[in-house]
Amino acid sequence: MSITSYNGSALVAMLGKNCFAIASDRRLGVNFQTIATDYQRIFEIHEKLYIGLSGLGTDVQTLYQRLKFRHKLYQLREERNMRPETFASLVSAMLYEKRFGPYFCEPIIAGLSEDNVPFICTTDLIGAKQYSSDFVVSGTASESLYGACESMYKPDLEPDDLFEVIAQALISSVDRDCISGWGGIVHIVTPDQVITKTLRGRMD
Amino acid sequence: MECLFGIQGDKFALLVADTSQVQSIVVQKTEEDKIMLLDSHKLLATIGENGDRVQFSEFIQKNILLYQFRNGIPLSTSAAANFTCGELAHALRKNPYFVNMMIAGYDSEEGPSLYYLDYIATLHKVKTGALGYGAYFILSLMDKFYSKNMSLDAALELVDKCILEIKTRLMGAPPNFVIKIVDENGAREFAWRKSVEDNTGPPSSAPAPLTPVEVSSQA
Amino acid sequence: MRLDFSGLDPVTLHRPKADAGFDLPCQPIGSAPSFDLPAVADLDGFEKAAVDMVKPLHGTTTLAFVFKEGVIVAADSRASMGNYISSQNVKKILEINPYLLGTMAGGAADCQFWQRNLGTRCRLHELGNKRRISVTGASKLLANTLYSYRGMGLSMGTMIAGWDETGPGLYYVDSEGGRVKGRRFSVGSGSTYAYGVLDTGFHWDMTIDEAVELARRSIYHATFRDGASGGVASVYYVGPNGWKKMSGDDVGELHYKYYPVSDSPAEKEIVMKEASSAS
Repeated sequence: MSITSYNGSALVAMLGKNCFAIASDRRLGVNFQTIATDYQRIFEIHEKLYIGLSGLGTDVQTLYQRLKFRHKLYQLREERNMRPETFASLVSAMLYEKRFGPYFCEPIIAGLSEDNVPFICTTDLIGAKQYSSDFVVSGTASESLYGACESMYKPDLEPDDLFEVIAQALISSVDRDCISGWGGIVHIVTPDQVITKTLRGRMD
Repeated sequence: MECLFGIQGDKFALLVADTSQVQSIVVQKTEEDKIMLLDSHKLLATIGENGDRVQFSEFIQKNILLYQFRNGIPLSTSAAANFTCGELAHALRKNPYFVNMMIAGYDSEEGPSLYYLDYIATLHKVKTGALGYGAYFILSLMDKFYSKNMSLDAALELVDKCILEIKTRLMGAPPNFVIKIVDENGAREFAWRKSVEDNTGPPSSAPAPLTPVEVSSQA
Repeated sequence: MRLDFSGLDPVTLHRPKADAGFDLPCQPIGSAPSFDLPAVADLDGFEKAAVDMVKPLHGTTTLAFVFKEGVIVAADSRASMGNYISSQNVKKILEINPYLLGTMAGGAADCQFWQRNLGTRCRLHELGNKRRISVTGASKLLANTLYSYRGMGLSMGTMIAGWDETGPGLYYVDSEGGRVKGRRFSVGSGSTYAYGVLDTGFHWDMTIDEAVELARRSIYHATFRDGASGGVASVYYVGPNGWKKMSGDDVGELHYKYYPVSDSPAEKEIVMKEASSAS
């Protein structure tokens, strides 16, 4: 099995009307063996910026710790939070630093700018940024996710509808992937609040 | 065919490891203690490549103690686990240690905690975990019989079920296991489960340091 | 009484004649099927490449055990191609005849074909000998056939379970030529997880319902831990009157039956915090 599908993961982020949603599965596995069903792949950088990391678990943890550290340093120096676009550039640069021995991670960055315009972006494992105006996907279930999102997504959805769409897309895609799933978690971020919901999915 | 597993119960955490030291087809030793005391309230159990296992666990133990000497207070279990994970991750792309481990500890505010840490530095806090070939047989057993806040007796019953299953179904299963516990009174050896006695030492009626310590119940 | 020596017939493999027409059903019923070999220069190299291409799907969990009342056979229903789930409704317990069951693990096509072939030969044995074939005989027929194809890349790890005059019978037969009689087997990638639950929960004197529940629970635990197993847990019981399908439960629903979620709504909602509007 390839190294990016060693632990198994599924991640998706979608843009809505002045909000965004980011969702992931909760399985931590070693090839086909399931180790845990409460693994965290989506991390908060600041209250309006989230990063989801798919791929090898150890690199997910290392990369998150490095990014959190860099953002805290930025906060101390600049006395404000990083803008999502800036953060995406930081992620891209950090990944390209390891061009000849990369982190086996494919991040999804989702955030709200200061004017509360939602932003999502994904990069490949060596930092090639890909902006999107609708949705981005990552992980071992990404092919199924592309199909599900393409058919279910509508622009300018309200937070509740956005939640339904992203949850359905995630659950139906991980049900076709052996090594991701075992539940799901969705964060819906609006200018006023962050709503987190856990999804009840198939546990097989 | 090494096996390592752990269970977090009500105010304690148990770690169980096999005690076979194997080199190719030869069992060199049947009482190799693979669970190390990191400090008074932490246990580190390791399985994996022979040299790496001992070197890495001693390295971690000394560094944990060093922190305590320098700063006057011991590390919390989560800090110790994250430190260990960091060392593994740092070495991963240079000179990796092929060691799988579980860390158990007891903190006064947090209570007992158990961490799964595999050789590529994937760290995860768990209630039950298993590593090695034995994991294939006992993960489902632990799913079935584990409940939150298990009592020590119930946890020991589960441990015995797991050991029996490993001995029945795993090819090349290790004959002896050691059980260590960590709770508010500290980390200590709790019991052995032996199928093969060690007769390499002098015969004596008084218990030698390597003789198994069978402790029926710990306060 | 006509003794059945067909098991001793050598398997016929032949190169197709230049003027042979397509799809002529030229073999009499009951003889060992003959397969054309490919007309290539390097047969060994081609076969090696073909074996790699027809990669068997070992992702499965099947189990069978004998207890006081008979035999229980259970399996999951997932087929996986690498990491992709190609189906969640595969029938892995094959009904060879009304009193014999076979399980499927390994190559699906191999299992389906050879177990159907086994069914044919069992029926011929009945017709020729005026009595049902024993489980021992049926498993031996299959094992001999598979042994003759050893090394050609067949992949099957199957259990033959049934009830004959001597009572319940259970054999494990595989494509490497192995055949072993036993009272408890589990085959597939999830088998180790199933063994754990099966071994600890077993009593010889179980009732049929308890045995069915044990089998169902073992399959469920295997589907939880093994990524390549899942779908529906089917459980069959084989008794003196033949087999009967006892249950087919979706393991996704079984999880919430065994481990009910404390909150009644399907999703738990936590409002994490109220972010101030000024960033």
